[in-house]
Amino acid sequence: MSHADPLASATVAPVATAAPVPRAQPGAFGRLLRSELRLVLGRRRNVVLLSGLGAVPLLLGLVVFLTRDSAMSGQGPGFIGRVTENGLFLVVASVFVCLPFLLPLTVGIASGDAIAGEASAGTLRYLLVTPVARARLLVVKAAGALTFVAAAVLAIAVVGLVAGAVLFGLRDVVLLSGDTVPLASGALRVAGIVAYVGLSMTGLVAVGLFFSTLTEVPVGAMAATVVVAIVSGVLDTLPALDAIRPGLLTHHWLDFAELLRIAPDWGVVAGGLGVQLAWVVVFGSLAWARFTTADVSS
Amino acid sequence: MPAVAAVAVGAAVLAPPLLASADDQGLPPVTPEELVAQVAGAEAPALSGTIVYTARLGLPSLPFGTAAGADPVNLMSGSSTLRVWTDGETRSRVALLGAASEYSVVHDAAQAWTYSSDDDEVVHYTLDAADVARLQELEKSGPPVQGDLPTPQAAADAALAHAQELSTVSLDGVTTVAGRDAYQLVVTPKSTTTLVGRTVLAVDAETSTPLRVQVWSAQDDTEPALEVGFTDVTFATPTDAVLTFSPPAGAQVREVVVPLPTDAELAGAAQEKTDGTLPAGVTVHGEGWDTVVEVADVDVAGLVAGDPEALGDLAQHEPTIGSDSAQALLEDFGRDPSQGAPGELDPTALFDAITTAVPEGRLISSDLFSVLITDDGRLLLGAVSPQTLQGLA
Repeated sequence: MSHADPLASATVAPVATAAPVPRAQPGAFGRLLRSELRLVLGRRRNVVLLSGLGAVPLLLGLVVFLTRDSAMSGQGPGFIGRVTENGLFLVVASVFVCLPFLLPLTVGIASGDAIAGEASAGTLRYLLVTPVARARLLVVKAAGALTFVAAAVLAIAVVGLVAGAVLFGLRDVVLLSGDTVPLASGALRVAGIVAYVGLSMTGLVAVGLFFSTLTEVPVGAMAATVVVAIVSGVLDTLPALDAIRPGLLTHHWLDFAELLRIAPDWGVVAGGLGVQLAWVVVFGSLAWARFTTADVSS
Repeated sequence: MPAVAAVAVGAAVLAPPLLASADDQGLPPVTPEELVAQVAGAEAPALSGTIVYTARLGLPSLPFGTAAGADPVNLMSGSSTLRVWTDGETRSRVALLGAASEYSVVHDAAQAWTYSSDDDEVVHYTLDAADVARLQELEKSGPPVQGDLPTPQAAADAALAHAQELSTVSLDGVTTVAGRDAYQLVVTPKSTTTLVGRTVLAVDAETSTPLRVQVWSAQDDTEPALEVGFTDVTFATPTDAVLTFSPPAGAQVREVVVPLPTDAELAGAAQEKTDGTLPAGVTVHGEGWDTVVEVADVDVAGLVAGDPEALGDLAQHEPTIGSDSAQALLEDFGRDPSQGAPGELDPTALFDAITTAVPEGRLISSDLFSVLITDDGRLLLGAVSPQTLQGLA
């Protein structure tokens, strides 16, 4: 696929639309990636967002801890009822609580801002002035967004683990089937859940990245990404759409519970990750096609 | 590039079913008689697998129908997934899967456990010591049988002959169930007034284990009304970890001692069976597929609402919610707000939602069966059209 025809955008700075493919300098990619990660993880609003997500398990743990002797003890959606017995479940419960909205919001902010944020700040064309291929810049931006999402999931998990251990203690893990497994293997399962949830966000990151290449308004791309996750969740509740539901972005998100069954069916886990891979492939290539051919005027 | 990606994804999704399409080659041809005899003669194999149950009965959809977790009520409509493990002898486990919950039944020789992850409750069913001894003796000597035990072939022939009085039994083409080649036995009712179109049993060609049952409605030829079958099966003995159960620390365990029927009771039951006498108040109209069972003096209102145990449960945590209208809504539908999701539904609301008013009383109409509950307390049930029931009432 070729780059945009310079004649089509004669009014904009030639350097932005143009482009002989820059020759890569040794180490340039690594430097670009490092600077992107420093930018993403150091940006104040991102740090605030991470702290906010980290506060969720803390808040959840404190509420459960303070009400543990009241009549409301052991009540609540998902895994909250199990938290009092085993602090390890605070990780699972927190992830469960953040999954429907807070994590998609985080993904939206991270990926929607990736390209559109640079465009709106007017820095995108300067990035392209430096000898860096657009595809490579896209990969770096994707890596930055993925890193931030991973950091968000890890923040929830680590705070959940520490708060759970302090407030409730860690014990052997009672699975959904009622069987008990040793703490070490239970912790491994919970680590698997955190990894699965993190990987479940990759499809949405690709969607957000694609939206981000369409617009110069980062808020638009962020909102559109969150809307995709919510609409997907709504469509998933309609029985009339049975045929397409298994392919929906959000359909397999709760399949992380598979890792808490006595004999996890790895086919289910692989199926969920496969759907994410499909979304990554489709929307990643769309983002690539759009970004490598678009006129960048700001 | 995006087009290539889309094609690649589409191919990945569509290819496995196409590749898995069955080839009739390589499987020896059988007759219906041979197939039934093979099924009857096959020993229960050790296996583990996933069973998906789907009901498309055409019942009115329930409010909050799909919101509940792993609850047996969900078997009424929609789709449920079960995992099964069995060693083919005395030990097995069945787990009904919810999105983030599980209901397990573990059967281990003379004891059984159930565990619900929603309320962390364990029920332990046991026999008392005397009954266990009696059961072991019974297993050693075998059950008392009058006359000769029929061979599988003879039993199959008899069953088939009986079935063929009312139905046509035939074989359909070889199919694939859970990735295994399977013969299909089709039982089609001779009656044209029943709602049942046909019943299809898929039998594994190698082990003669039934892999799938479909019940087709006469009104819908595109999808089976009821379908239960393996989506995944492995014929191997599961590990001990799966087949045993010990209650988790901290769970409440309810002990239930199940009384084993005495010899006299068993003999009485057998007698009743051979006599063909019906319990008082039950009458049967029609025969075969058109059978309609009529039960007199059914206290429907009491049956629907009166569950003393549930009432006791309700009294324990009477919910209160700030807003009056929310409270009213809760009283209408919910019973147990503690789970957050409206897990259990109020049976009366459920009853009203799935029945419709007709001149004779209230009617449940589905693609496979009809139930009529008359105002004078009779219940009529059959795999026939609602009009037939109304005519009988």
